[in-house]
Amino acid sequence: MSLSARRLRSIGWLALLAVCATLVLVLTLRVNALRSQVRREENRIVALREETMYLQTEFETRASQQQLKAWNDVDFGYVAPGAGQYLENERQLAMLGKPAGPDAPAPVRLAELGDSANGLSGDAASTSGTAAAAYSGPSFPAMVSPLTGKPSGRAVRSDAVMRAPTGERLLATDDVDASGQAGSRADHAAATAALGERLGHVDLGGPGKAVRKPAHKPPAKSKANPDAAKTSKVKPQKLKAPKPKAAKPKLAKAKPASAGHKPKTHSTEKPA
Amino acid sequence: MNAIAPPLPAAFAGRASFSGTGRAQGERGQVAQLRARSLLTAKTRVLVVAALFGLGTATALARIAQIGLFDRAPGMRSMTDRLLPPRGELTDRSGAPLARELPAYALWFNPKAFGEGKNASQGAISPLVRTPEEVARALMGVFPDADYADLVQRLKSDRPSYLRRRVLPEDANKIYALGEPALEFPRETERFYPQGSLAAHAVGYVDENGQGHVGMEEVLNARLIDPAQRGQPVALALDMRVQGALEDELGRAMGESNAKGAAGIVLDVETGEVVALASLPAFNPNRGDLAYNALVFNRVSNQVYELGSVVKPITIASAIDAGVVTDLSVRYPSGKPLSIDGRLIHDSHSFGASLNVPEALVHSSNIVTAQVADKLGAPALRQTMLNLGMSERPYIELPARGFPIWPKGNWSRITNMTVSYGHGMAISPLHLACAYAAMVNGGIWRPATLMKVEPGHAVQGRRVFKAATSARMRQLLRMIVEVGTGKKANAVGFRVGGKTGSAEKPGKHGYQKSALIATFAAAFPMDHPRYVVLASIDEPQGTQATSGQRTAAWNAAPAVGRLIPRIGPLLGVVPDAKRDVDISDVAPLVASGDGE
Repeated sequence: MSLSARRLRSIGWLALLAVCATLVLVLTLRVNALRSQVRREENRIVALREETMYLQTEFETRASQQQLKAWNDVDFGYVAPGAGQYLENERQLAMLGKPAGPDAPAPVRLAELGDSANGLSGDAASTSGTAAAAYSGPSFPAMVSPLTGKPSGRAVRSDAVMRAPTGERLLATDDVDASGQAGSRADHAAATAALGERLGHVDLGGPGKAVRKPAHKPPAKSKANPDAAKTSKVKPQKLKAPKPKAAKPKLAKAKPASAGHKPKTHSTEKPA
Repeated sequence: MNAIAPPLPAAFAGRASFSGTGRAQGERGQVAQLRARSLLTAKTRVLVVAALFGLGTATALARIAQIGLFDRAPGMRSMTDRLLPPRGELTDRSGAPLARELPAYALWFNPKAFGEGKNASQGAISPLVRTPEEVARALMGVFPDADYADLVQRLKSDRPSYLRRRVLPEDANKIYALGEPALEFPRETERFYPQGSLAAHAVGYVDENGQGHVGMEEVLNARLIDPAQRGQPVALALDMRVQGALEDELGRAMGESNAKGAAGIVLDVETGEVVALASLPAFNPNRGDLAYNALVFNRVSNQVYELGSVVKPITIASAIDAGVVTDLSVRYPSGKPLSIDGRLIHDSHSFGASLNVPEALVHSSNIVTAQVADKLGAPALRQTMLNLGMSERPYIELPARGFPIWPKGNWSRITNMTVSYGHGMAISPLHLACAYAAMVNGGIWRPATLMKVEPGHAVQGRRVFKAATSARMRQLLRMIVEVGTGKKANAVGFRVGGKTGSAEKPGKHGYQKSALIATFAAAFPMDHPRYVVLASIDEPQGTQATSGQRTAAWNAAPAVGRLIPRIGPLLGVVPDAKRDVDISDVAPLVASGDGE
């Protein structure tokens, strides 16, 4: 009996040792597995950080100041915003949306070249004031981007609008300080026109129908968004053949200048 | 076991010689011995096994303790070490990288790409698929600046060598497309400057041995390679956008006036931070092997010249500060050249019989400025120049700092008068920019720095001018731009004030009529000056673009006039056409007119 108890104890010790050894083995294996997993993750983190840094550096290199300048010179032509394009305070911002009073002087307007090849379009010529009507020269050729080879037609026309009538400035003198500003104002006006055109129309066609129809003209158009409403009225050709591709970059282009720019009327018609 | 075994044969031998009871006793004794031996054997075995188990258990416990207590930290350290760059990063003030370590591609020629072989001279197979000449020609298509003969020689050699380092990924792809297994692309960590040559003189470059040169790479070399600090990028005071605009406009002015070089600086008047520093033409820091050439010469901090009329406002400020000029309407004769000690001081052309001080600045009259300096006295003007640091190398971290040519000893009367209009003393554009900052910021001179200064940590500086003098100078400088020689720098809404200066460069036989240094030093906005902008054009020529003129009013001033609208909004200066410094009390003193 005593022998069997001793043997049992021995067996018990052996079993305990075996369990311990097994546990140690399992623990070691798990620890090793976890450690290699951690190392793998660390390697991944290091590789990803290096890759991120590499890509960031490549981006910084491709978008370096010299590269951006070269692009701007060739393709975009952005200029720094002028003093007239900044707003001082909220009150000045609110002034932009103020409707014209009953006895207010007629706002300064800008003549516009039509889309037709022979100078002014019939609409614009018939409705424009003295300066625009006096212009009867040839249309301005479309500028072609040297990179894409595509004409940047609308941008050119808006610039042409500024300079068209016998070199006279058509904008109010207190608003134009330099030629650069005049250019950006023209961009803004064109962008406003494009926006008005877009907002003033609802796409009623199905998926295959690309033609947009003009939506109803809001009765308070001159108050809510006079530029948009007027522009949509003056540009029938553009309504028929909207060019979303052309309008998109124009909007993007005018973005820097739009923050503080006083909206200029872009039509040749009197306000309603 | 072996110790027990030998007696056994003896026992069995004895067994053969006895019989009867003796035999029985002998057998029992043998059994007892056998049992005792077996017991001993078993005990020994148990002991050994127990010892083994004990050892195993102890080892396991020790291992558990090691894993639990000590094994985690080394793993963490290793990743940190791996992410630590070999050299610290340099960034601009907004964190855009200026210099960083990058695993770039190198182009390595391995002649043993096809295994060991004899070289070409021994008639063995070349490691190249095509002939070395064809491969060299293809490489020349990718790297037009490479040396064809050198490439051919390397490709024919049986020794491995670098064909080029810092290869762009797209160039590497082109070479990879050649399908030459002997051309390999090992990735090596290299110093890379994403902005290329932009701000090259301020940043510097790193050579193949990892040592920084020229700019802040040299100044911060120890800091950038210190393992304890190199993990954190170092922010410089530079703003890359401003730097880009400055270099662009200076480059344009250089091109338009067909000049040899140009220097420019944009300096924060309150902190002395150098927001942009340009010396053109610049070098390419990405080619460390080629970077060290004549172009590393820094025209902003290292080049000293007599800068001419841009020094006049300092003289006038000194005179106002000393109480010598109290009434700006006092007129000084200016009709004929001034003869002092047998030397003539004259103006570029006559501005009339007499001029007051504002007119002298607007028309840039040497004669009147010299008279004001004479009235002020040499010691006072000298002391002002000393206070502005004109007798020492410019204060900036850069290693390239030129020593000014400073009239030694007590100044004579003629020295005093010539220094008053910017001759007889050669200083760097950086000296002048710091002096202008002191002149417009309320009168405090501070050293320039390329390190970013946290708000509220600007150097205290020293007072050189009274605040009232500074306010008066702001009016006068603004007027020079409004009605004087700096009209072309009058950016609408930015309230620019400044002074032009066109000085002849000294040559072997006196001043050279054909070589000018045209400088325009400006500050904006003048109602609360924030930045000094200085542009200096080296040897401009009269061209169609500059209306045939080569003075600062036609090259440096227009460059500043174009630059300020570009950088003003970036630096937080909003243009406002309705705001300006009040010059109503000095404006009536000046009749409109042009001078140099």
